[in-house]
This record gives sequence, C-alpha cells and structure tokens, in this order.
Amino acid sequence: MNATILVVDDEESIRRLYQLELMDEGYKVILAADGQEGLQKVEQENPDLVILDIRMPEVDGIEFLDRFTQTGKKLPIIINSAYTDYRMDLTTWAAETYMVKSSDLSELKAEVKKLLVGKMEISTNGEGD
Amino acid sequence: MSELRKDPIVGRWVIVAPERSAKPREIKQPQEERGKICVLCEGNESNTPSEILAFRNPGTAPNSPGWQVRVVPNKFPVLRVEGELGRSGVGIFDMMNGIGAHEVIIESPSHELDLAFLPIEQIAKVLKAYQARMIDLANDRRLRYTLLFKNQGERAGASLAHPHTQLMALPITPILLKEELIGAKEHFNYKERCIFCDIIRQERELKSRVISEMENFITIAPYASRFPFEMWILPSRHNADFMKVNNADIAGLAKILKDSLLRLAKALSNPAFNYIIHTAPYRRPRHDYWTTIDEDYHWHIEIMPRVTTPAGFEWGTGFYINPTAPEDAAQYLREEEI
Repeated sequence: MNATILVVDDEESIRRLYQLELMDEGYKVILAADGQEGLQKVEQENPDLVILDIRMPEVDGIEFLDRFTQTGKKLPIIINSAYTDYRMDLTTWAAETYMVKSSDLSELKAEVKKLLVGKMEISTNGEGD
Repeated sequence: MSELRKDPIVGRWVIVAPERSAKPREIKQPQEERGKICVLCEGNESNTPSEILAFRNPGTAPNSPGWQVRVVPNKFPVLRVEGELGRSGVGIFDMMNGIGAHEVIIESPSHELDLAFLPIEQIAKVLKAYQARMIDLANDRRLRYTLLFKNQGERAGASLAHPHTQLMALPITPILLKEELIGAKEHFNYKERCIFCDIIRQERELKSRVISEMENFITIAPYASRFPFEMWILPSRHNADFMKVNNADIAGLAKILKDSLLRLAKALSNPAFNYIIHTAPYRRPRHDYWTTIDEDYHWHIEIMPRVTTPAGFEWGTGFYINPTAPEDAAQYLREEEI
C-alpha cells in the first residue's frame, strides 16, 4: 500500500506543487492549510509522514509540534520552512528533519523516501506504534 | 539629568537616563507557561541527538535517564563540524563554509527549576560541563572561539523553558570579543596592567557598583551598563582563560553565579535574561597575532536582563540608553535578601 503524506502549508501553490510532485512518486497526499487542520488530518487520516511549514496563521508549525508531541504519537515530521532561524528554536527537535524550502524538490523527496524506509524498518522490527 | 558614559574597555557610549527609570518592583515580567512536553526533560533522551558528555549516576547507560547534566549536539545546528573551512574571496567579500559546533548543555533533568534555584553543586556541574566542552573543542584546529550563551525567558530568545545553555564554536573570533581584546591590549601597552583588574580595584574602593563578592569572584554593575540591572561576574585574581579555572574556583563561581541570578530573580520577579562567557580565544599562532592575551585579557560573565528593547537609536549608533543608573541597580540588588 502506498504511504500517505500530509502536507501542512498555508500557501495553496506550495500545497498543490507538493501534491503533484509527491503523487508522481506514488504517494497518497493529503493537504492542510494550517496547523489546526493539520492536527485534525493526523487524527482522521493517520498519515505516515508530515511535511510541515512553520509560519502559518492561527496554529503555526511550532504550535503544531507542541500539540502533536503531547498526543504521544510518533510520526516522522519534516519541517519545511522558508526561514532558517527556527533552527535556534529547540521545539523543532520534535521533528526529524529541518529543510529550507527550495524550488527543486529532489532533496525533499529523497528525505521523504529515507524517513519512510526508516519507519517501515522500525515497524517491521516491532518497535512501532 | 541624563549622562553619557564611556565603557573603558571597548569605548562604547551609553546614555544613562535615570529620570526615565522604573523601580525594580514596577518592572513586571510575563510569566511563561511551563509543563509542556519537553525534549530536554529526563526520560525523553531518545528525542535528542546522542549525548557528547553527561554527568550521570553510576551504572546508568548513555542516552538514558539518570543524569545530572547532559550535553548534546543541536539537532538542527547553525554550524556543523563536518567539512572543510574553504576560506575564499568573492570580489571584496570574504566567505567560508559554515564550519563550527552547535551544542546544548541541559542544566538539569528537571524542567521546573531555573538555574538560579538549583543547588550550588548542580550549578558547579553545569560550569564543569561548559569548561569540558570548551577544552575538547580547542583540539579542533579550525576553531578560533567557543561562545557559551544562555537565553532564559522568551524575551531573551529562549524557545524552551527547560534550563539550558547553548554553545557555538566558531572558525572566527567574534567582533565583540575582538573589541574587548583590542581595548584590553591598548590599556596594557600603555599601563602594563590588565584593564579588568584595574576596574575591579576601583570598584572595590568605590563600593557603589559592587553587588557581591565571595570566593575569589566579584559581581559588579558595570560603570557603562548597557541594560538595566546588567551584571558582570569577574574572577578577583587575574585569569584570561575560563578553561584554566580550577575546581575550587568552579565551586566559588557556582556560588556567586547563583547569588547573582537569585538577586536578579527576586529584584525583577524572574526577568528574561541572557548571559555570555567572554574568555580568551583559542590561541592559534598566526601572523600579527599578539602573545600578551594571558596578561592583558580577563575572562568574565556578562548577565544582561531583557527588560528594555534596543530600537532604532541603538541600532543606528551603537549607543545604548539605560534608564536605570548602575549605582541604583547595584544598590537594589545588593539589598535584596536571598
């Protein structure tokens, strides 16, 4: 079964671009326009991985990470922000990876693949949720 | 009436404008939320990169509970150890790769107590961890300086309330440190004395800016304080290099650091603050580098409460406006019962 990826980003053009590119790679892609919707989608759709923007209205990426961590769930999260300065924010450690947005998505897609393989291996070894 | 004061080390001007001053009790600090799930807490070791150093209970495994102080690399570092420096020029511009180290010193397994409220022995362990990391990073010939800095409180740039310090090892000596080194050297060349030792001598005589003195250390409100309630902790005996502080003095430093931070916490109701350690850079022999740093420089800690916000004037001039006279701040802090 294809892995499901949740893209949380307030910019519609980014959501659409990521959706097309990731669907081309064979993933099922679901979208959320802010952190609040993202948290709901995590509950409802049980994705395998999240690509998370930081600067979003209402519930931003940092708040998303904080609330998500409190649920006790484990899920690989890639922070994908246009800004590098959130590296100084230790709340971001709840994510697996921090990647700065780029028009070339090859690095992001490689990271998605790597994290999903890692998640599969953990599940196979019986250490997953 | 306000007055202009010049910092004797770096020549920076400060406008001390006490008529604008608020009494310490009037400076209210927003209390931050605690109790969120925190990656730095004991029991969450799997959420951090593997530890570089830890002071642990006997028999406990690395990256498991049972530690008192723990040092881990920053998960998303601004500078990385891996790679070559690659110094190059682009026209008139200089650049190099982002080589360095970025680490987090977790000061306590518990989220709840700020550094000021930890036992002195625990604070001494934190200081030992600072020193151990600085000494280890000195072995990397690419690095010139290691800055230890603490951000406490959101206004000071802290993203987590869990007590921690950050370390950044740099391939260059930062400009603020260079300014101090140059100012200290000029004073030494002229008077053959350390300017910091001269300041300590004078402050002891005047007493008005001394906050506390104990165990070979002194805390003062600097003459040209940039911020209200700014404090400097200096070793009373001359020493340029934090890496050379012995174990007995680490214990003394822990005592005066706790004393100073407690006074600040009580006077201003737990304000946000930054502190930094300024110490001699790693001495790499190179052209035009002076050899008198051990004589002319003096390591120290600068504690900067974040109760004012530098704005256009400060950015435009390099001046600071301080609404609390250092003498008043020292008196408030000195009289605080701890």
